[in-house]
Amino acid sequence: MLLKNLQSIYKVTISFALMHFIDRTTIRLDKVLNELDLFVLGFILILEKYSDYVIISGYVSILLGRSRATEDVDIFIRPLQKEQFLKFYQDLRNHGFWCLNGEEENELFAYLREGLALRFAQDQQTIPNFEVKFTKKQLDEDSFRDRIIVQTTKGNLFISSLERQIAFKRYYLRSEKDLEDAAHLEKVFKDHLNRDLIAHYKQEIERYGKTQARENQ
Amino acid sequence: MEKLKPGKTNKEDRMHFVEYWAEYVRTHDDHDWSKQQKILIDGQLDHARQTPLTREQYLEIKAVSKKKQ
Repeated sequence: MLLKNLQSIYKVTISFALMHFIDRTTIRLDKVLNELDLFVLGFILILEKYSDYVIISGYVSILLGRSRATEDVDIFIRPLQKEQFLKFYQDLRNHGFWCLNGEEENELFAYLREGLALRFAQDQQTIPNFEVKFTKKQLDEDSFRDRIIVQTTKGNLFISSLERQIAFKRYYLRSEKDLEDAAHLEKVFKDHLNRDLIAHYKQEIERYGKTQARENQ
Repeated sequence: MEKLKPGKTNKEDRMHFVEYWAEYVRTHDDHDWSKQQKILIDGQLDHARQTPLTREQYLEIKAVSKKKQ
């Protein structure tokens, strides 16, 4: 009887896993992966052979529990040389992905170089898709500096820091959906977030906004 | 866990639910909340596949929605 009770307590203990930081930059996540997560993990498996990356925006909050879907996953990659890009593109094609923006490799590379985003989906599908961009501005590049790792049961993903995500969604993007994403992250990680860092990113965003306004004059 | 409070407007109602769900995620086993999330997301992706768009149609829709923003 006692043994049976102990076994049931033990079972409860080992099967109960809350998403949590295992160190300053790593989140352990034991979620049941959905089709969007599997799409992302499949794409990243190919991408990471060619470039560093950081996933930003909506999918970050979805990965971490938000109750919504998205049709596109935004990602920054470091600028690639043409030869590397061609290998990456070929590898994607060999693994059943296509580019929604065309097939001509030189043209696709030129788009990325211009700062435009390329969208990749599974062959003959459009949703979900990855929106891939080279980092261009300092703010884009900065998102690599404090990216964090999310460990899932089928692989790791690099995402933008939670503080940076919250600040961008709350003070830069500001749509209803973005404010909800920020609220989700703030609530789920309320015991972990660095509020000073969010305030710091807010200032950076405001500075960036002023520079943009001057450039547009 | 606190009960879900109704909102006075649709916007407020949505935000209450976002906060309620986030608290649920924070305090419940990953398997628990993610099984529910999976039903929602897989269902939406399945629906999108049943009404497929060509890439030209999709990019046109995205271009229009970007202009509106």
